[in-house]
Amino acid sequence: MNAVLDLRPIIPAAIVAVTGVVVLLAQAFAPSGRAAPSPVLSLAGLAGALASVWLLAGGRAEGAVLAGALTADGLALFLQAVILAVAVLTVLLSPAYLRANGMERGEYYALLLFSVVGMLGLVSTLELVSMFVALEIMSVALYGMVGLDRARPESQEAALKYFVNGAFASAFLLYGVALVYGVSGSTSLDRITRALGVASPETLPLAVLGAALLLVGFGFKVASVPFHMWAPDVYEGAPTPVTAFMSAGVKAAAFGALLRVFGYGLADLASHWQPLVAALAIVTMLLGNLAALAQRNLKRLLAYSSIAHAGYLMSALVAAPVLAGEAILFYVVAYAAVNLGGFGVIAALSKGGQEPATVADLAGLAERRPLLAATLTLFLVSLTGIPITAGFVGKFYLFNAAVASGWVVLALVGVLASVVSAYYYLRVVVAMYMEPPLGEDRWAAVSPAAALALALSAGVTLLFGLWPAPVLTFARLAGRSLL
Amino acid sequence: MTPPLVHLLTWLILLPVAGALLIALTRRESVSVQKLLGLAVSLVTFVLSTRLVSAFRDTAGMQFEERYAWIPAWGISYHVGIDGLSLWLVMLTTFLTPLCLLGSWSQIEKGVREFVVSMLLLEAGMIGVFVALDLFLFYVFWEAMLIPMYFLIGIWGHERRIYAAVKFFLYTFAGSVLMLVAFLVLYRAAGIRSFDIPALVAAPVDPALQTWLFLACALAFAIKVPMWPFHTWLPDAHVEAPTAGSVILAAVLLKMGGYGFLRLAIPLFPDAAVRLAPLVGVLAVIGIVYGALVSLVQPDLKKLVAYSSVSHLGFVMLGIAALSTTGVTGAVYQMLNHGISTGALFFLVGMLYDRRHTRLISEFGGLRAAMPWYFAVFLLISLSSIAVPGTNGFVGEFLILLGAWSFSPWMVVVATLGVILAAAYALWMVKRVFYGELANPKNQGLPDLSPREAAVLVPLVVLALVMGIASPLFTRRIEPAADALVRQVREATRPAPPAVAVLEQTAPEPGDAR
Repeated sequence: MNAVLDLRPIIPAAIVAVTGVVVLLAQAFAPSGRAAPSPVLSLAGLAGALASVWLLAGGRAEGAVLAGALTADGLALFLQAVILAVAVLTVLLSPAYLRANGMERGEYYALLLFSVVGMLGLVSTLELVSMFVALEIMSVALYGMVGLDRARPESQEAALKYFVNGAFASAFLLYGVALVYGVSGSTSLDRITRALGVASPETLPLAVLGAALLLVGFGFKVASVPFHMWAPDVYEGAPTPVTAFMSAGVKAAAFGALLRVFGYGLADLASHWQPLVAALAIVTMLLGNLAALAQRNLKRLLAYSSIAHAGYLMSALVAAPVLAGEAILFYVVAYAAVNLGGFGVIAALSKGGQEPATVADLAGLAERRPLLAATLTLFLVSLTGIPITAGFVGKFYLFNAAVASGWVVLALVGVLASVVSAYYYLRVVVAMYMEPPLGEDRWAAVSPAAALALALSAGVTLLFGLWPAPVLTFARLAGRSLL
Repeated sequence: MTPPLVHLLTWLILLPVAGALLIALTRRESVSVQKLLGLAVSLVTFVLSTRLVSAFRDTAGMQFEERYAWIPAWGISYHVGIDGLSLWLVMLTTFLTPLCLLGSWSQIEKGVREFVVSMLLLEAGMIGVFVALDLFLFYVFWEAMLIPMYFLIGIWGHERRIYAAVKFFLYTFAGSVLMLVAFLVLYRAAGIRSFDIPALVAAPVDPALQTWLFLACALAFAIKVPMWPFHTWLPDAHVEAPTAGSVILAAVLLKMGGYGFLRLAIPLFPDAAVRLAPLVGVLAVIGIVYGALVSLVQPDLKKLVAYSSVSHLGFVMLGIAALSTTGVTGAVYQMLNHGISTGALFFLVGMLYDRRHTRLISEFGGLRAAMPWYFAVFLLISLSSIAVPGTNGFVGEFLILLGAWSFSPWMVVVATLGVILAAAYALWMVKRVFYGELANPKNQGLPDLSPREAAVLVPLVVLALVMGIASPLFTRRIEPAADALVRQVREATRPAPPAVAVLEQTAPEPGDAR
């Protein structure tokens, strides 16, 4: 034990939290009639947090602090870097969108940063109560962000729906925590692992029930079938950059927590929860993709696609922890880049409160905006899982992890579901490239900041598709944290 | 000056990609720059690729090999190389791409830049498939090349292009994803932590498992070939694609199916391949007869050529199923022949379509008088397509039938029926299009071949004749690799390995295939 309290693992989250407060204050004290430079402040804070993650990774501050509440192990640092990068890209996408929709307010960035604090905590905690608190910090901020577009009733509806469903999920989660505590006598994952290793047969059903309830709670957060009902409405109703942030960030954070709880804390119960996870993965992959087939609305289509991707990710969760960690972590990177890019394109085109709502609204985009159309095509190709994109390498590893653990059926369902998904992703490409444009070009010119965000997403998608080895190495190192 | 040999295969892949990137950067209006640049890049690629032939040694092993670690933790490497099975298919690709660009010089009006970029990326992808020696790399090229082809059909195709493009994509994608799962299962079962094809061939897996893996891979390849009954995407794709798309599709893309059997499915899963060879053979023979019968009744020229492909590739698959040196050599040779003849036929049909904007046979008749040179080329290519002695097709089909005799005499008999039917549909088509009265007034005064069109067709005609007369020039480079494959399968499926002396006496005769 260190005599001096080692607070280093807190640094990234602390930087972001302080930045959030600064953004709020700057807004309050800004001279009237002039907006505070919230995006710049946010970017600076996020960059500082990223740098601290980098330094922590170099320093190797192993071991948890604050009674196991926080750690800076490989898994935490990897996902913190991903979440911070997601936040940076979201901030880049936001100013133009907020201006186009008349919602330029400082609290948007403050809420974003507070939500990031929750996510950073969620992926770095080894203790269930802290995990719950982090989850709530993340979610409460998000409820606010989803409803921030006060002019649009859809946004209000989405916020309410998300809140009610989120509260529901939290209840499940807490109940699960309570049952696991009842069996193991602790909320620390370390102790839970030890206790479950020697658990008596009488207490086993209770532990399994607890695991199932935890799975339900997280199932809501990652929008896996049958807990996905909120996702299409919320994704459609929320301001588009928020949707992008949610779909990428929440998924990264929630899967980080899932990996810790199931891959580490409840690893001894694996034979009990694996069939459950596998079943959830299968229905999620199938229903998510089939429902997406029927969508005309772009954001709903991407919402269902995001549900389907939760299924792909879950199919790797059944693998041995390190293998699952490597595959899921890499896919989270690939998926975050692509989803931010996909929603980002929609957000970047937003003008005067309008954005391309349906697939048909993108007709002829290739003729008018060849570069933008090519970028969106790249994202869709990556979502489908076709080489030479990161999405392909990611799916390759997810299914590889499933096969390596003997779950060939998950890989089979996964690839067949991908074929289904190809149909609706292609429909967007068909509209952009093979249909003539309708009427005037009524979309906005892409702002430089948004263009940078899209270019970064596209760069990541291509680079990690062609040269995934370095990220995979990091992902594997991070996956070792689960041992 | 001879081009250098180092990294030659990599250059052949990178050059079209680099050209495509360069062209993508040009302004949309600079159409002639894009066309010229595209042609130049594809010609340089072709010239470079001729070095493969001149420096090729007539032995069985891999040549021009390159290998670099890619994802070392999973035993994935960038491993490329060619042998006799792939040499000519690479050549076919580099040879046809410039012809396609030249052939579509004035057809493509909108999106020239995107067209040229797609063609060059397609070329890189196809070369990649033929040279890849790592399962992961193979799959990357195999899938990546779907995208440019999808755009070729969907953007520059005819009326029902979108339907055909999506069908093409989904059909082939559905086939290949199961192959991906098979690769993953194989990786785990082989237990050598490598996706390297030669390494995996040397470590065969349990025969019971092989059956499943073979079936998964065979499905992907059978769709690509396409074998009956997986062929239904082909007529749509062919008919709706622009001329260059049809040519590439028929001449090169379909060959990836046959090649996949030879490079992956058979050597990786020899037990299953031998056990399931009769099934492949039966489907092949059904395809031969079915394709020919359907061709016979087609009112549309392009559809006729498309269905004749199903028939021709049935021969290729019969040769592969025979698993004898002669059969496999014939199959590879026939893939080249089909590439040349059917490629040329699609060019010819496209040229006629450019003039009349119809492909219905009933619209024509007596064209011989209006377009004598066009007629001459059409007739010659048709003869090569139906395997008249002296043309390339004859050598290929003869080798296949010879090699398949010991495999199954009755299949050879039925296949020969296909040869006769081929003569019937092709000659009947020639008769209806070219002979008789020049009755339709729209056909009077149709211009004969332009110099550009002649420049596209002459190399194909010359090659069809050279390959018919000087076939050993080609087959002697194929044969060692074909023989090595057949031996490998025989050794892998023989319960007790025989003495070396016995093996050496086994001459590569067609008669002792099994």
